Amino acid sequence: MTPVYLKWLIFAVCMVALPPFSVGFIRKVKARMQNRIGAPVWQPVYDWIKFFRKGQTVSDNTTWVFQVSTALNTAVIILIALFVPWLSFKPAFGGDDLFLLLYLLALMRFMQLLSAQDQGSAFGGFGASREAYLSLLVEPALFLCLAALALIARSTSLSVIFDFSHRCTIYEAPVWLSVAFGIYLASVVDLSRMPIDDPSTHLELTMVHEAMMLENSGKNLGLSEFGHFLRMVVLYGLTTQCLLHLLSMEVLIGGMMNAVLSVIGIFVVAFLTAMIESIFVKLQWRRTPEFVAYALTMGLLAVASALIGGVYARHTL
Amino acid sequence: MPAAASLLSATVMSWLIICIFLACSGKNTKHSYPAFALLLGSIVLLIAAVMGWSCDFTWDAPAPIYLAVAPLSLHIDSLASIFIGLLAFVGISISSFSPGYLKHLDGKINPGIYWAQLLLFAGSMLVLILAANALTFLVAWEIMAISSALLVASDMSNHTARRAAFIYLGATRVATTFLMAGFLWMFTIVRTWNFADWHFAGLPTATPAFLIMIALCIKAGIWPFHEWLPHAHPAAPAPVSAYMSGVMIKLSIYALIRIFLFSNFNSPFLGLMILTLGLVSAFWGVLYALIQNDIKRLLAYSSIENVGLIVSGVGLSLIARRLGMPVIAGISLAGALFHCINHGIFKSLLFLGAGAIDSQAHTRNLEILGGLGKRMPWTMLFFVCGSAALCSLPPLNGFSSKWILYQSLFQLGCASPSLWLAGVAIGAIGIFGLVSAIAVATFAKTIGIAFLGRPRSHFAGDAEECSSMMLLALAIPAAACVVIGALAPYVLALFQPICIKAFNKTIDWNSVYTIPNGAIYTILIVLASSIYFIWLSQKRGKVERFVTWDCGYGALSGRMQGTATSFAENVAYTFAPLLEYHRHFTIAGRDRRHFPEAITTESDVDSILEHHIYGPIVKFVRWLGEHILRLQAGSVHLYLGYMLLTLVGLMLVGILI
Repeated sequence: MTPVYLKWLIFAVCMVALPPFSVGFIRKVKARMQNRIGAPVWQPVYDWIKFFRKGQTVSDNTTWVFQVSTALNTAVIILIALFVPWLSFKPAFGGDDLFLLLYLLALMRFMQLLSAQDQGSAFGGFGASREAYLSLLVEPALFLCLAALALIARSTSLSVIFDFSHRCTIYEAPVWLSVAFGIYLASVVDLSRMPIDDPSTHLELTMVHEAMMLENSGKNLGLSEFGHFLRMVVLYGLTTQCLLHLLSMEVLIGGMMNAVLSVIGIFVVAFLTAMIESIFVKLQWRRTPEFVAYALTMGLLAVASALIGGVYARHTL
Repeated sequence: MPAAASLLSATVMSWLIICIFLACSGKNTKHSYPAFALLLGSIVLLIAAVMGWSCDFTWDAPAPIYLAVAPLSLHIDSLASIFIGLLAFVGISISSFSPGYLKHLDGKINPGIYWAQLLLFAGSMLVLILAANALTFLVAWEIMAISSALLVASDMSNHTARRAAFIYLGATRVATTFLMAGFLWMFTIVRTWNFADWHFAGLPTATPAFLIMIALCIKAGIWPFHEWLPHAHPAAPAPVSAYMSGVMIKLSIYALIRIFLFSNFNSPFLGLMILTLGLVSAFWGVLYALIQNDIKRLLAYSSIENVGLIVSGVGLSLIARRLGMPVIAGISLAGALFHCINHGIFKSLLFLGAGAIDSQAHTRNLEILGGLGKRMPWTMLFFVCGSAALCSLPPLNGFSSKWILYQSLFQLGCASPSLWLAGVAIGAIGIFGLVSAIAVATFAKTIGIAFLGRPRSHFAGDAEECSSMMLLALAIPAAACVVIGALAPYVLALFQPICIKAFNKTIDWNSVYTIPNGAIYTILIVLASSIYFIWLSQKRGKVERFVTWDCGYGALSGRMQGTATSFAENVAYTFAPLLEYHRHFTIAGRDRRHFPEAITTESDVDSILEHHIYGPIVKFVRWLGEHILRLQAGSVHLYLGYMLLTLVGLMLVGILI
């Protein structure tokens, strides 16, 4: 067994290194798809070094909300990354409830919406409006997906839900599969990525997330980007964990193998994202509910299969 | 007689006596004296609530006071004392807030009458909580309804206030009718007025139970009977709104628990009915809240949402009890009660905050507010705190109670023997999630538009911070939100005797409530403040203040910002059929596609129920009234004829029977 401090060390390295590298990886793949060489994979790290050296320019409209929300949001996402089992080798941490996770995400969004409106510009206002709209469309999907997982684990604690102590049965397989898709689709909306929003443009008509970050500069921007990337990695990590559980139905994967697969899985999901961003075009804004409907359908499917599978499992076992 | 009972009786009596004096002194009343009476009474009530929590005592009013067929009988137990505590807590905030707030209404309201009614209102709520039999309950219910209706119309010169009071009065009349019918019917079956002796036995008691439930739902503002709330709240002065939304509508929940959960009530249909109505009103309320531009109207709709959540918790508890799962029933009842308390605290905070804005900026219209955060920083801090609690953001108190409701839904989903009931429970989790996402959007909009950005008019630009007494009134509930969040497991222990009385089951809260609120507080505060002081504060590195980015054009004005309507536009567009949302565009100019000269857009939202259900009903009643009026022709001969006809008719009936 690996000692606890070593576990924490490896986990801490992953938590710091994975966000910039997976984002750099997405950008690199996209560049290669467009026949460009692209920036190096560690470019986000260079960006941060630059951001943290620079001073800040803050709008004179802002109140305390602007700076506090960045600090609080960074703290919240670190807390989330610490207690959510998004990597199979994450050390244990108490109180990891799924509703707590969802409401901490809501807390981040609340502060972000406030800080966007704090600038007093038109961009902040419509960015906030769009973000609020997207979040309320996607929220039921996330709730249903995680509730379905909780149903098969009979507990709302995330560490119990994502525990590898028993192998996935045939009745649970559809749940894990649809939840993996559901969380991924929800993450596309939540992180405002391609079919919903293009993170690489700064066109006023299409911006969602970028519109809210327009006034952040220097260290504030660096922290906000770190928070956003970490959030991305956590959501991709959860998707990966669902897929690994599905895999455990066929092959028994042990500790070390599992850990490596968890990390590779995040890059696979990132690769998928890069592919989607290269191939698909942005959806017309009014049609976003149609996209979110897929995530919601996945959530409903997951709940239905968890309930019906539970009945069947009780009859056969 | 226990000390708590004496204190309660003394408070009611002294408030009544002060009422008479106030009504006599009329316009010359100073606000500070009655406010002090309210404060003193509320503190006494708080003490009585603490002492009464472990009591279980019934006492009758002394000899000459008698309600025709039953004594004026009062009862104190742990359930009552929890609600008395809430009443007292809100009362303390109100008494500190009112003198400063009422200044801007000077000349519009009559202070003596206003305060007399307010004390009467508070006293009647107290008696309602203590009522041990149906008649006492009915009397208190009536005084409460009428005094609050008069308070809504405090500003008699205002047309909307008069109309709002009229609508509210109409709703309370209907509610009282249902309640009376239900109580009388129930009396004919069980032959007693005492709530404690009411037993519901199968089908014969289902109808009176249904009638009572409808009456309580009307008063609680449950869909589809919620229409009076968004009318009454904007018209009422802020302290009255705080009482009405913080305490009065909760008393319906109290009565639901007292009458149905403390007896052997066991109807599967009615439990499911209030669960469904609760879920619908949660969604309906919050959706309408998002699109409102009047802060108090918005808060009124948000009350509908929260009461919906609470009522669905009560419904869940009834269902779980019937299925023989006392633990789940206990958890959901505790969740509902906890949310009652929490909502009472943060909603009164928000209503008072809206009142503070109203008294300083002289408007509640979000479209012309903005930038108040720089002028009223403390008000903003407390308002943000209340809003975050309302959005149930961890680790504040709203999250704790919401989490317990989630937990009970989830456990019912796991344990339910029937598949469809499990589906309903898990589906309800999805609806709860949607509702809280919309709530986050609603309050991000309210704060963002009112407090952040730039002022959109001189109303907002000239506002100043309110007085320290008013700020104190906001600070007390805001602190309570934080503290109750940190002490959630201890607060839950308060509901233990209620769970024992209703379900005969003790619940081990340490194993149920697994959220380490204290640890989350510590981690968040330590992490966030260290991040702030390491990287973001002024001292670390250069922080330059400059204008917001204006695309290089310069001269951003307050009007070049998102508005309240535009914030909600996306949602309104998506849910257009439910909201009756219409938008009209006109683009004028010669070559209007490329060089428009004027673009105007107009959007309007209508209440679908008011439009298609209540409107026609009111019209029909009017039509009926006009036609019945013809009977009264003013001729004595005709009236004699009516008498004759009636007599003959009665004789015929007598013969036939």
